[in-house]
Amino acid sequence: MRRALTINPPVKGILAWEYFEVRKRCSNAMATWPGWTNYSASKNFPQKVMRSTLRLFLALSLVATITLVFFRGIHVNATSVGFFYLVAILVIATTGGLLEASVSSVVAMLCFNFFFLPPVGTFTIADPQNWVALFAFLTTALTASQLSARLKRQRAQALDRQREMERLYTLSRAILLTDTAQPTAKQIAHQMAQAFDWPAVALYDRNTSEVYLAGPEAFPNVVDIDAKLRESAILSRVLHEETDDTLITPIRLGGEPIGSLAVKQAFMSDTALQSVLSLVAVGLEKARAQEEANRAQVARQSEELKSTLLDAIAHEFKTPLTSIKAVTTDLLSNPQQSLSQEQRGLVTIADEGADRLARLVTEAIQLARIEGGKFKLNRGVHFPSSLLSTALRQTQFLTDGRALKMEADEGLPSVLVDAELTQMVISHLIENAVKYSTPGSPIVIGALATERGVVFHITDQGPGITQEEQSRIFEKFYRGRVGQHLKGAGMGLAIAREIVRAHGEDIWVESSPGKGSKFCFSLPIAPVEPNR
Amino acid sequence: MSAGRILVVDDDPQIRRAMKSTLINRGYEVSDSRTGEEALDRLRSETYDLLLLDMNMPGTGGIETCRIIRSTSDIAIIMLTVNRTEKDKVEALDAGADDYVTKPFSTPELLARIRATLRRLPQAPDEAGLRQLILGGVEIDLPSRQATVRGRTSRLTAKEFDLLSYFLRHPNKTIAHRELLQAVWGPDYGDELEYLRVFVNRLRKKIEPEPSKPQFLLTDAWAGYRFHLPH
Repeated sequence: MRRALTINPPVKGILAWEYFEVRKRCSNAMATWPGWTNYSASKNFPQKVMRSTLRLFLALSLVATITLVFFRGIHVNATSVGFFYLVAILVIATTGGLLEASVSSVVAMLCFNFFFLPPVGTFTIADPQNWVALFAFLTTALTASQLSARLKRQRAQALDRQREMERLYTLSRAILLTDTAQPTAKQIAHQMAQAFDWPAVALYDRNTSEVYLAGPEAFPNVVDIDAKLRESAILSRVLHEETDDTLITPIRLGGEPIGSLAVKQAFMSDTALQSVLSLVAVGLEKARAQEEANRAQVARQSEELKSTLLDAIAHEFKTPLTSIKAVTTDLLSNPQQSLSQEQRGLVTIADEGADRLARLVTEAIQLARIEGGKFKLNRGVHFPSSLLSTALRQTQFLTDGRALKMEADEGLPSVLVDAELTQMVISHLIENAVKYSTPGSPIVIGALATERGVVFHITDQGPGITQEEQSRIFEKFYRGRVGQHLKGAGMGLAIAREIVRAHGEDIWVESSPGKGSKFCFSLPIAPVEPNR
Repeated sequence: MSAGRILVVDDDPQIRRAMKSTLINRGYEVSDSRTGEEALDRLRSETYDLLLLDMNMPGTGGIETCRIIRSTSDIAIIMLTVNRTEKDKVEALDAGADDYVTKPFSTPELLARIRATLRRLPQAPDEAGLRQLILGGVEIDLPSRQATVRGRTSRLTAKEFDLLSYFLRHPNKTIAHRELLQAVWGPDYGDELEYLRVFVNRLRKKIEPEPSKPQFLLTDAWAGYRFHLPH
């Protein structure tokens, strides 16, 4: 019926056959209750019939009055009476509907014929000219009725559109003004029910996987609606609840279903429905983006807090250590201080204790930073040999007196690494090698080019590591059985592994008891620049 | 005779006491300040050869204090920091420090750093016959350590000046990082590439007409730096 006239071409994002389904549904609904309809239409039905009957009665009364006045009272010629009838029909057509106008036209024509066209008092017409007049009268009256009714209908349609637009505007405003106190989807569902006077609305947000209900009435079977909403969102398909005129349609954004909407008795134009769906899609997306931004901010803040906390701890621990260390090293290094052998030994103990504590704090902070993702690789192109020799120099105080052999080919390709962190890895491995092997035994450090990159290795002739232990040594706070009595917190290898992994590479150990250990890690070769 | 006048700036009283006693023992004249503001006050009325400045202090922190001092003075500054990260080192040097020491440090290490910072190149550049250098729009007056570029005059700090002097004595020749570090800072140095990066940048800002496109102080990738002196 009328809905069929207002159908627009399928809107992007909804399949043609779904569209047809929606249209058919709406058409059926409209066939029952013409005009702008909402859920209250069914309640008004008897009232509407009564009003129609009353209007018909009034229209017929007007025709009867004219007949009575001109037949019994004022005597004018038949043509004038005919014009009066026409005027009356026009009045009826403009104020009433097509039905009243059409019925009145026929009745007026009959009255005109019976009472005013000779022979008066019969339905026969003597003069053939009067047949023409009567026919012209009927045609004019019916055409005027039709035209007038069409105008009225168009006006009603325009009003409908306007109301739809107003409601859409209200909804778009409401969606823009959603706050963060409640879930956005919940607010949108309420706003939709309110703006369109929908009796029951259910909105499923795929992002939160929640269904929100709104509207003065309830769905007869909420569990079923819930399931269908999810189904609609997953299949991206329009579904129907046959029992009570419920439409379930997916909400899509860029072709992707991001949720679905169920509405009981949603009698509105398809354009409006599509606009509502687009608005809701934008609203849900906005909420999702906002939530993501919030999450990112919270994560950043917690990172900042962690970093500040680490700095504070570093400062608090290292400040007293600084004064201890300044005093012990001063006493030990100053030849003017006349320390006895025994006193020197005691100060050395305090000095070593301070060193150990300082290393523990440094390592703990390093590990926390590295594990918390609080470090950025400051990658640059470096020669493997210079990385090794720098690390060697940095660990010189540890390796004094040890035979340290470096096996690094000068022709090795450069690596693309963070030099500071890489040297930290090498230093930790050298320190471990020194710590776990017998004093005086040689340590070999080197690097060689392989298929997977440049592999650095640090080999000692210590007691070796059992197969079982090899899987555990890279764990935090793990210390080899032979190293139970040794200094250190067992964080060195864990730190080394994190750094190597951050470069996208790996660290491993080749060892067997009694045969020493060889720690290896690979690093990526720097791409060769053509202009170098 | 005093080996030098040193101002120790640290908010921790124990560190101040320990350093004061150590340094006085080694023949330095030492004063101390609790905060950056106090140090700035002291510097207005007294002269020092070197400042030991803690990076992490309440109020005006070490970095900010260093910047304020650098805007008017070329006194030698060693920063004391608890962090060993490259970012912190560069931040300290960028603010104008000549060197830094990571806490906790050993006394011999600190003394070596102080000596290196106060140490001047044995051979002043004017002995090599250079007193004033005028290169395309740039005027460098060596005895007063002033550089004038496009009418803007800035004074070089002692270390910047030593670095420039070394370059001027070896013009048009690539000087390896290690050689530069050992010549200007001392034999204990050699791996501190970030020092060179920061100091070369600082020098470029003072002597180059366009610091981002240097025409004199050039980087030779992988190898070192070269001072281009037009004949």
